[in-house]
Amino acid sequence: MSLAISIRNIKKTLGNQEILKGISFNVELGDIFGYLGPNGAGKTTTIRILLGLFQADSGKLEILGQDIKLSETRRKIGFVLDADGLYDNMTAEENMEYYARIYGLFKASKRISQLLDMVELGNRAKDRVNTYSKGMRQRLALARAMVHDPEILVLDEPTSGVDPSGQIEIRQIMINMAHKKNKTIFLSSHNLDEVQRICNRIALIDRGEIKLYGELESLRQGMSKRTVIIETAQIIPESLLTELKELSHLGLQEIRNNSIVLSPQQGTEISDIISILTGRGVKIEEASKKEASLEEMYSAILKETESS
Amino acid sequence: MREIILITINSIKNNLKSKALTIGFLCVTVMIAVGLNLFFCILLINPAMKTSTPDRTQLEIYLNLIMYTTCLICLGINLNVFAFQSMTREKTRGNIESLMATPLSVKNIWIAKSLAVFIPGMVLGEVLTFAALLAVNYIYFVPRIGFVYTYWMGLSSFLAAPIIYLCLSFLVHLIGLTGKTANGNIIVQIFLPIILTLMINLIIRNILNAASWPLTLANFGIAFVIIIIVIFLQLRITREKIVLSR
Repeated sequence: MSLAISIRNIKKTLGNQEILKGISFNVELGDIFGYLGPNGAGKTTTIRILLGLFQADSGKLEILGQDIKLSETRRKIGFVLDADGLYDNMTAEENMEYYARIYGLFKASKRISQLLDMVELGNRAKDRVNTYSKGMRQRLALARAMVHDPEILVLDEPTSGVDPSGQIEIRQIMINMAHKKNKTIFLSSHNLDEVQRICNRIALIDRGEIKLYGELESLRQGMSKRTVIIETAQIIPESLLTELKELSHLGLQEIRNNSIVLSPQQGTEISDIISILTGRGVKIEEASKKEASLEEMYSAILKETESS
Repeated sequence: MREIILITINSIKNNLKSKALTIGFLCVTVMIAVGLNLFFCILLINPAMKTSTPDRTQLEIYLNLIMYTTCLICLGINLNVFAFQSMTREKTRGNIESLMATPLSVKNIWIAKSLAVFIPGMVLGEVLTFAALLAVNYIYFVPRIGFVYTYWMGLSSFLAAPIIYLCLSFLVHLIGLTGKTANGNIIVQIFLPIILTLMINLIIRNILNAASWPLTLANFGIAFVIIIIVIFLQLRITREKIVLSR
């Protein structure tokens, strides 16, 4: 896979504060990349470096193998920033035309109307932007980001402040852009549910350091392996529980009425646990690996950071 | 150049689409310009025309004083109103940051934003100055001594005064974009009364001959000083500085 974005050991200090402490990650072509982190973690600074608004103190950034300082590279990126940058006194169509011209597209009316239709603003194209809701503005900002048909979209919290139905619409537009238009999306978001739903790769930044990075599914699987829940048909007798506690490789964590939660050591499979229990006469109704949600992963990583 | 023209046209459109502000600006500027013209006519031209043989040189000086102050006032009020308003609005709403993330050069954005504020003020200033030239001539001079006009008057009112404000617009936008917008606005607010008072005093006291080259030269001198400051300060303009000043 070729790289859309490659960030190597980027450092950035603003004033006396070191905002980015040598971050590294890659975004591959076709990825929907979720960039997560609490407020003040360094997400917006990373985006500003990606868009060439800030210059990194050290490290290397490549966009499609090129330097972001080049005007040619900037043409390959579309963006939605936290402040949408739309002109309130102008209509949606005028806003789009302006950006089309900036990118050197002087006959783009067909493309503009297609994009406005895509974000379901075709019927409001001639209305001034100051009459739009927050969700409509964000959709227009997304359409504007696509006006020059960029290969990469950098989106800074595009659903922030938007109502749930608006969030669903924006999410669907992002999915369409990635899957139907083959765009690489770099999505910075606070919305863990949204990232979990649409991103295939994530990076979690906290206090200027990347704490977690990789394919979302493998990260989830990696964390899920640690917890196994066994539902039983009857209450497990006290004597058996004592015995289970002594088997340290099972890692008994929690005992409920008809279920036990285990954190087995590596090499101990669910089948091993089931045979131990059935061998002692326990009837098992269900055995499952607990799926680690992104929220749990996020909280666990941040807690680890805080405690260290 | 294409970039500058594109941003300038778009910014002018956007600035003028704030109807209340534009109408307010037009009304206030026209009222002040007309008031000032009347004031100078009553105070200077009327008495000068009551003499049996009016002194043409003196009338040229008075007429240029009227034209010059009319142009300066239009340009000053325009910069006062639109520079602060457009910079504050565009910085807080992320318009500038979005533009800087495109392939546009940051210096072109700055130049275009400065021109976008300056040009409407210049057009209004030139129109009102020309109107003042015609009105004073046809009301007072043409019936008795003929049309009063010298090339120096044209240069100082139609060219030198706008050039001062063009340079000032560059300076104000430079300061406003890279620092706090209010800092740029303070310069505009202070500049207009100072330059007006200074020039009116120098002209009335016959220290600067408004009908000849000294006034024009003085104006070009002021513009030169401002542009030197701009050339020095523009070295500091970066995307990062502008984003951080938001």
